[in-house]
Amino acid sequence: MKLAREVATPEGKVLCGPGLELTEDLITRLERSGIGVVTVEGHPVRLPGELSISQRLKELEARFSKVKDDPVLRALMRLIGEYWVEQERR
Amino acid sequence: MDPQELRKQAIKDRLKEMHSLPALPPIVSKLNTMMEDENVTAHQLGALIERDQVLTGKLLKMVNSSFYGFPQRISTVSNAIVLLGFNVIRTLIVTSSIFEFMQSSDIGLWEHSLGCATAAGILARRMGIKNPEEISTAGLIHDLGKIVIRSELPAEYQQVQDIVAKRQIPMREAELIHVGLAHGEIGGWLAAQWNLPERLVEPIRHHHNPEETPTFKEPAAIVHFSDILIRAVGYGSGGDPWVPPLDHNAWSRIKFGKAQTQEVLRELDEKLTELQDFTMEIHQMSTPGK
Repeated sequence: MKLAREVATPEGKVLCGPGLELTEDLITRLERSGIGVVTVEGHPVRLPGELSISQRLKELEARFSKVKDDPVLRALMRLIGEYWVEQERR
Repeated sequence: MDPQELRKQAIKDRLKEMHSLPALPPIVSKLNTMMEDENVTAHQLGALIERDQVLTGKLLKMVNSSFYGFPQRISTVSNAIVLLGFNVIRTLIVTSSIFEFMQSSDIGLWEHSLGCATAAGILARRMGIKNPEEISTAGLIHDLGKIVIRSELPAEYQQVQDIVAKRQIPMREAELIHVGLAHGEIGGWLAAQWNLPERLVEPIRHHHNPEETPTFKEPAAIVHFSDILIRAVGYGSGGDPWVPPLDHNAWSRIKFGKAQTQEVLRELDEKLTELQDFTMEIHQMSTPGK
């Protein structure tokens, strides 16, 4: 797993830059510096409670159920779905 | 006065005696007095605010969050005033205690509000609007009315929730049926009571019917569409599970094409991911020992 973004403390001190491989050692050092959350490239882990892409798309459609006759909102729904599918493929 | 108006006035009278929501920070009246002096500087205002360390901490946390999206950390209140303008800082101070209440009582609404602020900032910057941080701030507080109904009118709030669940209608419709006033109007009224500028009050009041804004139609259109966008991507909870209807006249003021919308979605996704760090920190802060 590679870091997608630099990791900085709440005070703004940069600890490491993007592109760095997230090793066990690095995780330990970041935890010791008080870092709880980092962003990695791609979608290598599914977080607890996170839905599969097909569930997400189903819920997306359900959210738009009251506005499905609106062409602008239908187009928005399609674009969101396409974006999620593209992200999942990475 | 017709019965509808009487009903609205009765609600407003009840809300004037707000019991459950935290009081405004005492510093607000001092700030308002100082602001009457045209020559007051950001430094002087900053110095007054910084006497309250807790408030300063909360303020700096908000201004450094990704929905304002400043590339470098803002470390003093006077710097925040210079970069964001005093309207934004005053609004954040006035609403700070409400937001704490929101975080602890309705995390879904809190996330929805942060998300809407983020989306509004992205749209405002892309449209080249002056002072996009004000629009972001309007997005942040657009659902103020919901938290007021929840805390000050708890019986009505519960009944609205029941109507939403039973009749499968949006929260706003249920509010109009049961309370007589929707959350937009309540939020706008409250913001006006707090002397927030019209540029913020109108988008709050009319975020579901943005073309009814007398003056600030573009900001209202942006907050309207931001609310739709953030519900569409499923971030946070607006009180019911549905994307609200789009006002097409308001949309014509934004009118992004396919490519621009795709860029907006990308930027929104990145910023919301950063925001999850912000929200999670709040979770961690409020659950000691975890």
